[in-house]
Amino acid sequence: MPEIDIDPTTRIEGHHGITLQVDADGTVTEAKSKMEMFRGAEIVTLGRPPSDAPQITGMVCGVCFLCHRFCSSKAAEDAALNAEDVDFGGPPANAVRLRDTVEGIFYLWNHAVHLFALVGPDYSDAVAGTGFDRLDPLEGDGYMAAMANQRKVMKALAEFGGRAPHPVAYVPGGLATRPDVSTIQAVKSRVQEVSNWLGATENVPQVIENVQNGEFDPALGEGLHDIVSIILAAAEAGAADIGQGPDRFYSNGMFEDPESGELFLKRGVYRNGSAEELTKQEIIDGITEDTEYSWYTDDSGGAPTDAKPPEPAPEKDQAYSWGKAPRFEGQSMEVGPLARMTITGLDPFDLRATLGGGAAESNTLNRLIARAQETLVVRDQIMDWLDAIDPSEPFMADDWSDDFTGKGVGLMEASRGALSHYMDIENGEIERYQIITPTIWNLGPRDGSGQPSPLEEGVVGDVVSNVESPLTVLRTIRSMDPCLACSVHVQSPENASKTEVEPVTPSIGGGSCDI
Amino acid sequence: MTTRRNFLRLVGSTAAGGVISQYGTEIARAFEQVAEGDMEVVWFQGQSCTGCTISTLQAQYPTLEEALNEFRLEVTFHPTIMPEAGEAAIESMSMSPDILIVEGSIPTDIPEAATIGGRTAEDWVTDLAPQSDIIVSVGNCAAFGGWPAAENKKRLYDLGENVTGAKGLQFEKRKKGGVLGADFTGGAGLPVVNLGGCPPNPDYVLLTLATVLNGHVPELDEYNRPLPFYEPLVHDNCMHRGYFDRGEFADKPGGEGCLLKQGCKGPYTHCDDQTRLWNDGTSVCLNVSAPCIGCMEPGFWDRFSPFQQEMEGSPVLGNVSATQAGAVGVAAAAAGIGAHLGRRAMGYGKFESAEKADAETKAAEEDTE
Repeated sequence: MPEIDIDPTTRIEGHHGITLQVDADGTVTEAKSKMEMFRGAEIVTLGRPPSDAPQITGMVCGVCFLCHRFCSSKAAEDAALNAEDVDFGGPPANAVRLRDTVEGIFYLWNHAVHLFALVGPDYSDAVAGTGFDRLDPLEGDGYMAAMANQRKVMKALAEFGGRAPHPVAYVPGGLATRPDVSTIQAVKSRVQEVSNWLGATENVPQVIENVQNGEFDPALGEGLHDIVSIILAAAEAGAADIGQGPDRFYSNGMFEDPESGELFLKRGVYRNGSAEELTKQEIIDGITEDTEYSWYTDDSGGAPTDAKPPEPAPEKDQAYSWGKAPRFEGQSMEVGPLARMTITGLDPFDLRATLGGGAAESNTLNRLIARAQETLVVRDQIMDWLDAIDPSEPFMADDWSDDFTGKGVGLMEASRGALSHYMDIENGEIERYQIITPTIWNLGPRDGSGQPSPLEEGVVGDVVSNVESPLTVLRTIRSMDPCLACSVHVQSPENASKTEVEPVTPSIGGGSCDI
Repeated sequence: MTTRRNFLRLVGSTAAGGVISQYGTEIARAFEQVAEGDMEVVWFQGQSCTGCTISTLQAQYPTLEEALNEFRLEVTFHPTIMPEAGEAAIESMSMSPDILIVEGSIPTDIPEAATIGGRTAEDWVTDLAPQSDIIVSVGNCAAFGGWPAAENKKRLYDLGENVTGAKGLQFEKRKKGGVLGADFTGGAGLPVVNLGGCPPNPDYVLLTLATVLNGHVPELDEYNRPLPFYEPLVHDNCMHRGYFDRGEFADKPGGEGCLLKQGCKGPYTHCDDQTRLWNDGTSVCLNVSAPCIGCMEPGFWDRFSPFQQEMEGSPVLGNVSATQAGAVGVAAAAAGIGAHLGRRAMGYGKFESAEKADAETKAAEEDTE
């Protein structure tokens, strides 16, 4: 049985490869998703004060830097709230709102970069020979416009954070900066500019019609035309029939109203055809990590609330990834925009229902559609959230102190999916740290019962008609928007340097797309 | 096609350090001058977070796309933006690039801690670097080891102080050496040009490329960082400097006053970000009251952690605490000597020499008495 190895995956963040077993007619029968970098984030975080954790873990990833910083701050604050030896009343509502708003703006940034620069080219002329050249890497007009607009979003983020990437203004207890009216106004106008490029949500039906007729009307939104083009090209290429995941989704919930506690995007799981809203504690209680196929000792797995930091076991038989296998009540779960949209019950313009085979169907096309839908849904809220920030109210707690003993959990939704940080503090020092990232959920290895991750399950059954051009598989991988930098705790021992066998050559402009 | 010989001659011509700090049209011209043919660029990632790539994508004059397209730099490999994948990606990589850019540290104790296409980053870099004309470390990790080299304080699992043995290309924290060795030089005769920072300012990346493409040898400091970017002291140009001189310190992050007691590492950190600013002139850390974390310096992480605590008793400050130094500034101002003496009291610009800072501090104290 032929083995195909794709390494590096490229146009994702970080080091990743995938090994596919295919049968005689090219159908994928088994996949192993391999994470290929180790730095040791949890280990480096230990022995330091809680305020250092967001600094370190925020810089674990230069792509999704804000979410780690916020999630780590939430874990530290949760630990302080749970501590008996310190008087901490929580971060000010104003800070909670501003962090959420900034993450919302970040969703715009990440989704735009993902759709235009990372996954878009897979449906462009340069890669797939489709004749759609606006998203050819670094040359297409749409690609260039997206690059220019991502800079504008980053400028908005820099207004609050001082710089982007890796702003340093957000700390446990709130945020260091005290944005005034004019700063908030500057952020608004930058977001508005990008929003205009994208186009109004209500224009979607007209833009779909335009794209189908080969027309381009910048007044309706340049960005919308390109995004709709990707979706329609993907639909045409059969993306609804590839990358079928487990149809089980999980979300930590996101965008919390500080007064009512209500979440704009819901927290819970979707399984057996229906959504279940869950409490934070129910989420925490449901999660375990499995290390059967990971290069960690067996006792590195278990509940992240009390498991030890991952201990490398490079000689371990059967292991093939430095990712662990997180499970919710024993089940693999897909995370990301499709999970959030499904659990929240949103399918704007019924795009997934009509193009993707159903609003809750887990497939490569629906992941793209959900990301585009979420971009618009969140964009439409950002101005209201910015308006709710009161520059005259405090942004930093008066009573934050690093000196306490307590355990905390931070849950949030990075743009890519569910993220959680677990922090145990003893006498002002981090004693234990765990991170579970969205990419681990989607691209981790199988678990002890042989249950594959959503990606490993998703590519099985896909047909690689051209072994030299496994574009189907690449499209599915990228549809999950992997970000490996923080997913991977450690990398490979000796046997990861083995020479790979089968040649893999995605066609460049050759039209040999295999779907 | 620019031949290697032509390019080497360009690079080998006399230095003009000032060119590196010029903007806009000058940079464009610099790129154009060598754009007779394609310059092959390989952007390689070791233990990276891709933050340096994302930072470079924020460059505005020129933008990265302009640098790549208008100036015909041929990036034969960049894992985040290239169209190819798998073996095709590896095959497209130039094995003797004109410019090798490395992002992320290189693990040496566990070389397999970063692999691409089944080979370790260490193997890739030690193969590519001797075949490259110019080698640039982008970011603190590639330059000095960065965060993967931060200390394993609990010494867990017998992994050693540096969990994976992460190093920079030619430095390990503040010590010369690194993966390529202290004496290494690329085809153009330069050591690895280090652009420290977590991440570095995007201007640093493109201006450094412009400089070498224009045939100038960048003037480097003792850590092989281009001097014009890394000579200014953050503290000197800080918008909160007046508070410091008056001895007024903030009592919490974001509070009113100088942020020194909130852990600001501005007095120990060299870069021109306070005047250059980030994201097309939008802002900089201290302008939003976020204490400087010292990310531009070798030894950044452990040298400056805990980040929210004042770095008291540091040899770079001599025997004078920040508060006392602030008071010296106040006394100096009161005596009509002004900020100049305050600066001398802090040993500005001479921070790498503990003895000198010490001596100057003592002298200043005597002067003000």
